[in-house]
Amino acid sequence: MENKALFEKLSSRLDELSNLPKLDDEKSISRLIEEKGFSRREFMGWAGAMTSMLMLPASFTPLVAKAAEMADRLPLVWLHMAECTGCSESLLRTATPSIDSLIFDYISLEYHETIMSAAGWQAEHNLESAMERYKGKYILMVEGGIPHGESDFYLTIGAHGKTGEKIAREASENAAAIFAIGTCSSFGGVQAAYPNPTNATALSNITNKSVINVPGCPPSESNIVGTLLHFILYGTLPALDAYNRPKWAYGLRIHDACERRGRFDAGEFVEQFGDDGAKNGYCLYKVGCKGPYTFNNCSKQRFNQGTSWPVQAGHGCMGCSEPDFWDKMGIVHEPLGNRLYHTVFGGLGSDATADKIGVGILTVTAVGIAAHAAISLIKKPKE
Amino acid sequence: MIKLIEKIEGEAKLNFNFKDNKIDFVDIEFMSTRNIENILKGKSAFDALVINPRVCGICGHAHLIATVEALESCYDNLQISNKAKSLRELTLNFELIQNHFKWFYLTMMPLFGHKQEVLKATYPSQLMGKAIALFGGQYPHTSYAVVGGVVCDITEMDIIKLQHYIEQTVKFVEDNLIKMESESFSTCKSVDNILKYEGDLPDILRQIKKEELLAYGKSYGRFISFGENSYFKKGKSLKTRVNNNIFIEHAKESETATSFAKNVSYKDKYYEVGPLARAMVNKNKLILDAHRKYGDSIFSRILARVSEISQLLKHSKKLIQKLDLNEPSYIEPCIDIKQFSSSGYSAVEAARGTLIHKVELENGFIKNYEIITPTQWNLSGGTREKQGVSQKAMIGLYDIKMAELVFKTFDVCSVCTTH
Repeated sequence: MENKALFEKLSSRLDELSNLPKLDDEKSISRLIEEKGFSRREFMGWAGAMTSMLMLPASFTPLVAKAAEMADRLPLVWLHMAECTGCSESLLRTATPSIDSLIFDYISLEYHETIMSAAGWQAEHNLESAMERYKGKYILMVEGGIPHGESDFYLTIGAHGKTGEKIAREASENAAAIFAIGTCSSFGGVQAAYPNPTNATALSNITNKSVINVPGCPPSESNIVGTLLHFILYGTLPALDAYNRPKWAYGLRIHDACERRGRFDAGEFVEQFGDDGAKNGYCLYKVGCKGPYTFNNCSKQRFNQGTSWPVQAGHGCMGCSEPDFWDKMGIVHEPLGNRLYHTVFGGLGSDATADKIGVGILTVTAVGIAAHAAISLIKKPKE
Repeated sequence: MIKLIEKIEGEAKLNFNFKDNKIDFVDIEFMSTRNIENILKGKSAFDALVINPRVCGICGHAHLIATVEALESCYDNLQISNKAKSLRELTLNFELIQNHFKWFYLTMMPLFGHKQEVLKATYPSQLMGKAIALFGGQYPHTSYAVVGGVVCDITEMDIIKLQHYIEQTVKFVEDNLIKMESESFSTCKSVDNILKYEGDLPDILRQIKKEELLAYGKSYGRFISFGENSYFKKGKSLKTRVNNNIFIEHAKESETATSFAKNVSYKDKYYEVGPLARAMVNKNKLILDAHRKYGDSIFSRILARVSEISQLLKHSKKLIQKLDLNEPSYIEPCIDIKQFSSSGYSAVEAARGTLIHKVELENGFIKNYEIITPTQWNLSGGTREKQGVSQKAMIGLYDIKMAELVFKTFDVCSVCTTH
């Protein structure tokens, strides 16, 4: 019954959207997909995958397909702030010319600094006119941290030399929805790492509008496209966690669905890169995997059209979708449990603390890890 | 007249000065910075392996390889297996290749009045991205290279997948870029021969000839390339005279008053880096022919960059054939990095040219870190008396649109440059 009500709600939302004018009357997303050689069956297959990613029942697939076709009703403005363009790169690398990339290429025509044709004065004009023409209707996606306060001149954009902060604030003012794409716009990102020389900050700190964070460095293409589809389907904000991340993507820890989880549970750890454990796909916690502390769906969605993800390649998670992971997740190749905390017990590592004292002063996860870490061998001492 | 140049993975401000209707001088400014070098200071040495790929999402992999090699150069007698070396080289090749596709289709084609064909850019670059992800786990921003080797343990199955990605990319080249066998393209010695074929590349090259743009974009004809591996050679080339004896100590950065990017020179002279420079140092026959006929013009620059795709694909196939999967991926360093203070450097060839990393360690922590990016070489903003490479290349042009074309043939990237 619950599903039925939701189905009806989403259907009426899509009906409403279909009354809105299209960006271009001559073209449509479904025709574009067909022109590029995709069959309806392939398109529906893609929509089915998207449906399951958004944690909707399979019977909702036609709705998701319709939502994708409605994407050209919603103009999109994509801004680059202080960043490395990695998020755009991640998006451009969506599946082999995939349906997501097609939709994105088609709808992001309004303004995207890296892939749009316009430049200079024309680009600035495009941005201003898109913001004016689609006032209250456009979706704003921002990539990059925002140099803030005294030093916002670390980033100026456009022929008028406006600061990034001013542009982001103006664009946020009349957006229908605001998405911070990537860890930089969500939490400040690498430039905000200590000592944060440019005073970079999250988009949510410079606007009082609701910002949905889609962190990751970079976020996977499916999380970016899924966020957009979710908005088209629901027209409202998704359920969010404490850091304003959509729960459908960031509701579980990397660790919860990790392919090496069984190894962790069995106490089988890689002690050193290149050892037999590494060859046999043991758990990477002891060589610095931050999966137990990181909320994201990488283990399910993977990257580059599902090709792989860091843990599969043998490196372990960096925790890149967590706030300030640069400073708070410790040294990269060491387990977070080795980190010394200033506690009432002195500067003991978190694992050691749990081992020795046996009280859960840390999170349940950390205690679990400590217990498992204790089962396996102590890290080989180095000469 | 001030002109903003965008779509260079960020933007730059060019201030054009005209005299007698010709461009007389161009000021180049970059208006953003993130200060990554300052962020690195005081962090644990290995943290650089995660932070540095984030200097640039476009060439992040080159930054990873440069970082790991800079850290490794701090050790004496560090062992790296041939397998690890080859895997690193392969992934770097793939990054170069996908960059060249995107540059040609997203940036160059529209400047020649052609439709921007996003899918032509994304299709082969996605293939190459997947090839990197096979080893690295994801692309952009992998961290699979660590001090002592790489962390992936690849299987025969991965190799089969990889060969498939390469074959698909080769097919794309043959179907779109130049309709000749990719293998023959990679060994072709004559520009005239290239011009006889069909395809997006010969189309653009013919257009340059037809519209009489052959003399555009010439600079000093001074090239330099520091990155050495099984394909690229190290050296500098003055026109066609090559000298392989060059030293990184002579590559110096200097601050400029108006821009967040620093200038880079070698023995106080500005040099061009990038595919044209690499081809000149490597004495590639096709590019030598182009250079003999048209100098370091936009024609040679475009041809050098695009032809590198086929050359690197071919070389990658060779590297794969030589891979011995029984070798170790990682050999543990005999000393823990926390125990020593040392300094080192590295140079790798990124898509846009030589990328240099210099590191100073104190008890395993970073005391100082310097990054010199390819665009800093090409876009050094010199004075009227001593102009940078791209500044010089724009002098004498009548029209700003043409200057933008010349500027972009250097495939500039402001993300990296304003680290």
